[in-house]
Amino acid sequence: MHTRVMVSLLVVALLAAGGLFVWSGPAVAQGGGTIVGEVKVSGTPPAPKTVKVNKDNEVCGNEKKIVDVAVGTGSGLGNAVVSVTDAKGAKPSKKAVLDQKGCEFHPEVLVMAPGEVDILNSDGVLHNIHTFSTANPAFNKAQPKFKKVMTEKLDKPEAIKVQCDAHSWMHGWILVTENPAATTDEKGSFKIENVPPGKHKVEVWHPVLGKQSRDVEVKAGQEAKVAFELAAKK
Amino acid sequence: MAGPRGKFLQTVVVLVVALLIFKYGIRPPMPFSVLALYMAITLLAVLVYVSSDSESWRAFLAPFWTTLTEPRRRPLRLGLGVLLPLLVGYYAYSQAAAKAEAPVELRAIHPAPPPAIAFRGKQIDLQATPTPLRKDIAANPANAAKHLAAGGAIYIQNCVYCHGDHLDGEGHFAHGFNPGPANFQDPGTIAQLSEGFLFWRIAKGGPGLPKESTPWNSAMPAWEDRLTEEQIWQVIYYLYETTGHKPRVMSEGGHAALPRAPDLAAWLGPRAVQAQQAGDAARGKQLYDLHCALCHGATGKGDGPAAERVLPKPRDFTAGKFKLRSTPSGQLPTDQDLFKVVTDGMPGTSMPPWRVLPDKDRRALVAHVKTFAEGFKSAKPEAAKVPPEVASSDASIKRGKEMFEAIECNKCHGQAGRGDPAPGSDLKDDWGNPVRPANLHKPWTFRGGPERKDVAMRLSTGLMGSPMPTFIDSVEKPEDIWHLANYIRSLGPDRPNWASLVQVQAVSGEIPSDPNAEFWKKVPAANIPLVGQVIVDPRNFNPTIDLLAVRAVHTDSEVAFHLTWDDPTDSDPGKGAPKPDMVALQFPTGTGEGERPYFLMGDGARSVSLLTWQAGTGVGEATAAVEGKVTPRKGESVLAKGQAVYDAGQYRAVIRRPLKGGDKADFVFPVGRFFPMAFWAWDGSEGDEGAKAAVSTWYYVRLEAPLSKQQFVVPPIAALVTVGLELGLSRWAQRRRNRQVS
Repeated sequence: MHTRVMVSLLVVALLAAGGLFVWSGPAVAQGGGTIVGEVKVSGTPPAPKTVKVNKDNEVCGNEKKIVDVAVGTGSGLGNAVVSVTDAKGAKPSKKAVLDQKGCEFHPEVLVMAPGEVDILNSDGVLHNIHTFSTANPAFNKAQPKFKKVMTEKLDKPEAIKVQCDAHSWMHGWILVTENPAATTDEKGSFKIENVPPGKHKVEVWHPVLGKQSRDVEVKAGQEAKVAFELAAKK
Repeated sequence: MAGPRGKFLQTVVVLVVALLIFKYGIRPPMPFSVLALYMAITLLAVLVYVSSDSESWRAFLAPFWTTLTEPRRRPLRLGLGVLLPLLVGYYAYSQAAAKAEAPVELRAIHPAPPPAIAFRGKQIDLQATPTPLRKDIAANPANAAKHLAAGGAIYIQNCVYCHGDHLDGEGHFAHGFNPGPANFQDPGTIAQLSEGFLFWRIAKGGPGLPKESTPWNSAMPAWEDRLTEEQIWQVIYYLYETTGHKPRVMSEGGHAALPRAPDLAAWLGPRAVQAQQAGDAARGKQLYDLHCALCHGATGKGDGPAAERVLPKPRDFTAGKFKLRSTPSGQLPTDQDLFKVVTDGMPGTSMPPWRVLPDKDRRALVAHVKTFAEGFKSAKPEAAKVPPEVASSDASIKRGKEMFEAIECNKCHGQAGRGDPAPGSDLKDDWGNPVRPANLHKPWTFRGGPERKDVAMRLSTGLMGSPMPTFIDSVEKPEDIWHLANYIRSLGPDRPNWASLVQVQAVSGEIPSDPNAEFWKKVPAANIPLVGQVIVDPRNFNPTIDLLAVRAVHTDSEVAFHLTWDDPTDSDPGKGAPKPDMVALQFPTGTGEGERPYFLMGDGARSVSLLTWQAGTGVGEATAAVEGKVTPRKGESVLAKGQAVYDAGQYRAVIRRPLKGGDKADFVFPVGRFFPMAFWAWDGSEGDEGAKAAVSTWYYVRLEAPLSKQQFVVPPIAALVTVGLELGLSRWAQRRRNRQVS
């Protein structure tokens, strides 16, 4: 019980810091290791586009920046997901949450274990959740201002594009995975905890730049380092 | 006394039975004039029969006689005495009042073709058989499939808009044309014609028709400009092969001279009719290849040759996303859902109803369509739980409107529901194609049908693959789905009630230029369908403007047209739009008698005058002799005035002009005479400009004479004369009876 509280606190702290989003849960294997590392971009990533907001300006603002490839200091790649493809993740301690706030998806890339996700409408204007899944049923559901929470079930692992047709710039991703996984922060750093010791395959996935995998050996109580570099095709 | 009364009754029974047989027993129904002729002949025959001997004649007349003379028949006598004059008076009134029907035009439908025509500088012998294409097929039978496929692609890309997927003249633009497009399935069309005749009609089109076909008005383009000789023979080949008709052969040797038609089986597999009962899906595949593949593609990806031009695009069946379902968002449709779409088509799109195919074939098509998406193998679609129906009422409609605002339907469908999302909304389907939200005032374009239950179903299940989400769990109370449906259906009529004539009412006093003036609300509207201009480049395959409501009045000095049309955006170059919205009223220059100019702004020899309104510059006048060469009038010759307003997805404009134009060559609006008139509209934000427009063919406009007193004077006189005749007849009969009695 103590561990659960500790991990939850850690997650909250991390989120509050605007830092990593660690896919959380009670420790599976006591004495598991941690994988840390960085994802970088090589080449010239596409420049962000600016879209003029034509409706709901009071909540959406007047302009939206569409960043397909988020590059931070030192070419770090944000919003990429790193997962250990040959290990099972822990059961999540709480339901995944996708918030629609300021006419943006938060987080832009949500990593969740198969199960339920709460979709919030914090904006008080009509949004619609339009998913492009293939393994799970694809759906398109309206979420008017008075519908604050919708709960959806995503049982099968896959990367799902999500959009809101009412606000054409709103795009996001939900990555449903059974593996231990983490999203990179704006510097491209990530940290996956509680990985069982042993040799593992680690994979990075980015909606635009694709995938790359590496082998890594995790030792109990130690940090294993992995570095990725995804090439931006012009 | 049963005998004499029986004779009269027999006569009546015979006539009624004859009428029933003529009216309901004969298909297709005969026109009224033919029916009247047949009934007159029947009546005459019956009269000849009953008057064949004097006994029978007396028996026949007996009921008349007793009615006229018997004292106990007095109430009947009085009743008839009142009723007959009223009927005569009413008939006189209905004849005196103006009729809202365009005159019937007689023309030769199949004029005699010339023996040969010049085609792109080459002389083509129209009487030569076999045709070059059939010669080629005779020499290389393997080429038949290639030619058929090419003909199908040409047809689906060029002809389908008017002549339809089923080749029955019911394409999705067909309602915009008068005369309507030819129905090739009808045994009275291509089955009666030679391939050379078809070549001539296709190559030269409406503009190439000879004089006896005037007023030709035919929208059929001259395809010489667009298709090669081989392509025209290919599409002719496609027409005959697909309909199963045989071309007529003029020369000696008759049908035997024709090369044997290739077995379609080589290309399509055995035809549906000969199909072995190898299972529904197998039969469905043959039907699919024949009827559906030109749009939906051989592999169901929605990538047939038609796909590049039509909007909405043909559905990609492999994705398993279907718009019209009775199942929740995220599920596949039921067989019945698919069957309904195949049967009823999708109004407002190029998907036609396939009711022409037998029930069994449509079920086979459903079975085949289901093979394209993997999901159908394991899916068990369940019907969505639509809340129990709520009848429409003022209270329900009011609640529906509140809900419409609360759930923000306006985001896509516009404030007033005219399908006008905020500019830059960038609505796309799952394949990235642009999406036009439904105009809720036009239920006849609703893809899944106009009924309240259809609307409730769409709200409940959404349109998968499009931005339209499901609202079943996103209204305040479940029954709100029905309140919304009731509100949406309160916005527009089931059908638009297309007009054939623009009647211009006579008024006195000032005509307001303000399009929103109360004055205009009392003037009845003529709804004119507009369709895409798909004849000359640049073509407009998917016009946004599909209806122009025309109200018109005139005084003794000027005429004013009030136009209403829905356009999702107001595009004014003065406010940054790349191209302006426009509308034009087209009239033949001159008296409007004799041959009309080609409906697309003239044909070189005959020119047209245009009254125009354009966003930013307002009302103007122009002339044109060939489409694309519009010459605006300038200076003092421009007498037209008016103004327009744009509000919530709708334009309303008033264009007025003195009866006599400023240019001497121009026409004077004639009073009481049918005068040709056609319509144009451009949606600037869709890139409409020049020939890329929505158009109509020629209609008639008539300035009604000021309400004449005639229609109030003639009927009473007719009624009085009838009363007089009745009295005379009655008196004569009474006197004669008295004489007989004494």
